[in-house]
Amino acid sequence: MNLSELESLTTRAVADLSAAATPADLEALRIRYLGRNGAVNDATAALKAAPPAEKPFWGKAVNAFKSRTEKALADRRAALASAAEAASDDFDPTLPGAWISPGTLHPVTQLIDRTTAIFRRMGFTVADGPDIETEHYNFDALNTPADHVSRDTQDTFYLPAARLLRTQTSAVQARYMEANPPPVRIVCPGRCYRRDTTDATHSANFHQIEGLYVDRAVSLANLKSDIDHFARELMGPGVKSRFRPHFFPFTEPSVEVDFSCHMCGGKGCRVCKHSGWIEIMGAGMVDPNVFLAAGYDPDAVTGYAFGMGIERLAMLLFGIDDIRRLYENVVPYLSQF
Amino acid sequence: MKIPLSWLSEYVELPATVEELSDLLTFSGIEVEAVETTGGAPAGVVAAKVLTCVPHPDSDHLHVCEVDAGTGTPATVVCGAPNVEAGGTYPFAPLGTVLPGDFKIEKRKVRGIESFGMLCAADELGLSKDHSGLMVLDGAIAAGTPLSDIVGAPETVLEVEITPNRGDELSLIGVAREISALRGVPVRYPAIDYPVGEENIASAAHVAVEVDAADCPRYTARLLRGVKPGPSPEWMRRRLEAAGVRAISNVVDITNYVLLECGQPLHAFDFDRLAGGGIRVRRAKEGESLVTLDGVERKLTPEMITICDEEKPLAVAGIMGGEESGINDATSSVLLEAATFSPSRVRATGKALGLSSESSYRYVRGVTPDTVDFGARRAMHLFCALAGATACDGVLDAYPAPQEPLLVRCRREKLETLLGIETTTDEMARIFSALGLETAEKTGDAVVVRVPLFRTDLTREADLIEEFIRIYGLGRLPEVPPAARLVPGADDRPYTAKQRLQRLLAGAGLTEAMNYSFTAPALLDRFGSDAARRVQLCDPLSAEQSVLRDSLLPQLVENLGTNVFRQVPEAALFETGRVFFLDKDGTPSEEDRLAVALLGAVGATGTAKYRAVSEEQMFAWIRGLWETVAKTLKLRGAQLRAAERPCVQARRGLDIVVEGKKIGHLGLLKKSLAAEWRIRQAVGVLEVSLAPLLAAGGKGKRPVPPPAYPSVRRDVALVVPAKTKHEDVLKAARKAAPKELEKIELFDVFRGKALGEGKKSLAYAFTYRAADRTLTDEETNAFQEKINTALVSALGAEIRKG
Repeated sequence: MNLSELESLTTRAVADLSAAATPADLEALRIRYLGRNGAVNDATAALKAAPPAEKPFWGKAVNAFKSRTEKALADRRAALASAAEAASDDFDPTLPGAWISPGTLHPVTQLIDRTTAIFRRMGFTVADGPDIETEHYNFDALNTPADHVSRDTQDTFYLPAARLLRTQTSAVQARYMEANPPPVRIVCPGRCYRRDTTDATHSANFHQIEGLYVDRAVSLANLKSDIDHFARELMGPGVKSRFRPHFFPFTEPSVEVDFSCHMCGGKGCRVCKHSGWIEIMGAGMVDPNVFLAAGYDPDAVTGYAFGMGIERLAMLLFGIDDIRRLYENVVPYLSQF
Repeated sequence: MKIPLSWLSEYVELPATVEELSDLLTFSGIEVEAVETTGGAPAGVVAAKVLTCVPHPDSDHLHVCEVDAGTGTPATVVCGAPNVEAGGTYPFAPLGTVLPGDFKIEKRKVRGIESFGMLCAADELGLSKDHSGLMVLDGAIAAGTPLSDIVGAPETVLEVEITPNRGDELSLIGVAREISALRGVPVRYPAIDYPVGEENIASAAHVAVEVDAADCPRYTARLLRGVKPGPSPEWMRRRLEAAGVRAISNVVDITNYVLLECGQPLHAFDFDRLAGGGIRVRRAKEGESLVTLDGVERKLTPEMITICDEEKPLAVAGIMGGEESGINDATSSVLLEAATFSPSRVRATGKALGLSSESSYRYVRGVTPDTVDFGARRAMHLFCALAGATACDGVLDAYPAPQEPLLVRCRREKLETLLGIETTTDEMARIFSALGLETAEKTGDAVVVRVPLFRTDLTREADLIEEFIRIYGLGRLPEVPPAARLVPGADDRPYTAKQRLQRLLAGAGLTEAMNYSFTAPALLDRFGSDAARRVQLCDPLSAEQSVLRDSLLPQLVENLGTNVFRQVPEAALFETGRVFFLDKDGTPSEEDRLAVALLGAVGATGTAKYRAVSEEQMFAWIRGLWETVAKTLKLRGAQLRAAERPCVQARRGLDIVVEGKKIGHLGLLKKSLAAEWRIRQAVGVLEVSLAPLLAAGGKGKRPVPPPAYPSVRRDVALVVPAKTKHEDVLKAARKAAPKELEKIELFDVFRGKALGEGKKSLAYAFTYRAADRTLTDEETNAFQEKINTALVSALGAEIRKG
């Protein structure tokens, strides 16, 4: 054997070992190359017989033979073992996961949370009031006298003992101002009731969120910029608001507020009925009579108030086509929100 | 209110396009709800003569015609109408015309022959419902004459919403006045002069107002002789119908026309039928009644103002006239009423009678004495011009306290503060005067204006500020940066606590439901609540929604039923909402609650979901859910006590007790109840009052550091009578336990024949730990031995060594 024969032997041994198909083949090859009477012996013998000048070369070559064939043997052994393990393993990672899947909050709750979160960042706190109201807080204290036609626009459910179901969360305004001196900065989400026949967009039972800010010099311009901010926070950075004059008994001036359509950016689409704008809320500057009824001095303070329907917002933002689905409580439907 | 634009344009110059007008009105506070086009000929349709008409070679009913539409080149048209004939003149829609229904006329092949346009029937033009054949036109009409010259142009009608404070805008002139203010163009008022005859009304009729001036501030009557009832002229009929009012006869039509034109309701009485020849405005007497124009007999009460002759009521003031004194074909003398009545009185009467009309709609929004004169005179003008009438001289006018225009001051500084803008009193005065508010006084700081009577909504400074910004333009408000501002606030904690609870439950796998506050009494009955304490609606929409819920559970269980019906196999629902009761004194009150309803394998995961859910399992879930809530809310000292509830199965319910007070309950729903919704599986329910739950929670304990010494565990299996409860074991064990006992855990429950009849095995792990040393085996064994002895003697338990 000469050195180049040893090198080609090494190459062949590595190739043979790496290609062994079964553990038995591998064992036979191990015996042939590395066994007591295997090729490794011939190489060692050749090393011993080599002239001293060639010994260092032979030493290196024999070591290379040993280390490379042993590595090839170990690699192949591991590969054959893991192939065998894989072949016998029936573990199935494609089985479905198992953990209690989370539920969902109702779309109305989600919208109440989103809107109150925006207003709380602006320094509003959340106030609450009863669903069952008196004529005083729901109407009289809100500049809506009993014999006035403006009562007709809100068909009311009456209860025993001269009580009624509030027709608007504005009732909380009157209660809160009566109990707290100015300044006031509150929002109040809550349930309201009107004798509307239920259809795809009307429900006799619905939710509103009311806002009220009273201080020394609150202006209509403040209302506009605060509402603009709210519009951007709720619907997206490009959304603007616009005011249209309107009438509410408890504000003067009164406006209806449109938001530019969040779907089409104001170009006109199905959601905004091709107008580019969506009516979102009613608002205005608190009427002096409301201040008087609450015991505030209308010459000392001014304030703005606004109110909007939560179901309407939820329908717009989630693309819900029929308000009745919100009260049907079918789990697969609700779990989409 | 419907506004035909051709009619409106008579009173004021309109913007060039309908869109501009819509925007103008919308941004002044008159919301345009719809724009409709009615009647008239569609643009592009012309009169055309049929030159030749031959049968279509491939059809037994079609004809091929050569049509002269005045263009110089005849067009070939295939026509299917039965009445088409050569020499006839018909409406013709050339290529490109759009007919009603968005039907565009295009060139098309009809059985192989190309047709260039369409000869039209009246229904195809939207002119009538007639589809019997082509609309036949007068042969004298020249080919090419636009059809709109023959039958009139289509009318554009705006449907607008007038807010309840602006009664003065409930007329065409009212809207015209608004447009005039916005555009700075004058209002063109119609003619109100009329010739008068020799007879004076004072010698023929009389008026006596016997009610307070506040109820009837002004009542006027004028008399017409020689009225000739008959149809109104075509233009008036067309206008009324475009405005949504049915044309009837000239007398009625004129009163309606004036009502729409200037907002003054009028009433025409047949003078010859008035007993005593005069009018008394008085309260109805007890027992009086009146058959109104709609043919219904109305019982009147002394709360109602009536217009009467010397004997009987003729009309309910401001709402509707009576049948008997109405106009008929034989009427020749007409007494014309123009008056004002108290808005609240008309409103109350209308509500009491369940009756409303165009007149009452306006009266409740305020008709003012200054329009009375205008409206009456305008009607007299039209009666003389269109109904052949002769007007008597004079007017009977009961106006005891003539109203003076109000003077209202508006301070510039207040206006600037409220709106957030800067202005001058000159600008204020200019805007006010555009609205017809004359300046009575002006300084650098304030403007005082004289408010015309018809603007009943303007009585205060705040009202003027609103008028200012409306005309100034809301779009011109300056941009100021949005400001966060901290003010001493309302107590947010109940809201945030509820929010935390809702999120916890959703995170635990529950879906939040939301139900109406009203429900059916029958549903609440099933759940066994106290009917005497329920809050009834005085005026429910339906029997199904006639009471306020006194518990959240009934609807939530009903929701489970809905889900089962929809083939949803499992549902874990919760709701936070209000329930309502009558207090002891009969006053309705309310309370916030949380309720949960579980159905199906809601607490299982993976394939375990498909195993049947035992009662024990469902109970463990609903109880476990409550324990999770109590733990998360850091609710200390909450106890569960065995209790019976009407909707819960016997021995499968627990009351939730916090600080000695029952605040709710949990358990398994009665099977008979579940069966009402075809639910055959165990249903877990829970309902708890929110306020004590949220108030009691949140106070956490001081934290304890991790233990310094290891614990020792001893397992014991007890064979006990099957009725023995886990809690009995805990009690007996704790009695005998040393302070080193850290916890007792139940890790197995087993029932089997090997144990013997009426027995079960409970396996417990007892964990011991000392704070200051490692416990020895001997010590621990002694502890356990003592507990075992106690269990044996207290429960008759047998200790299984294992």
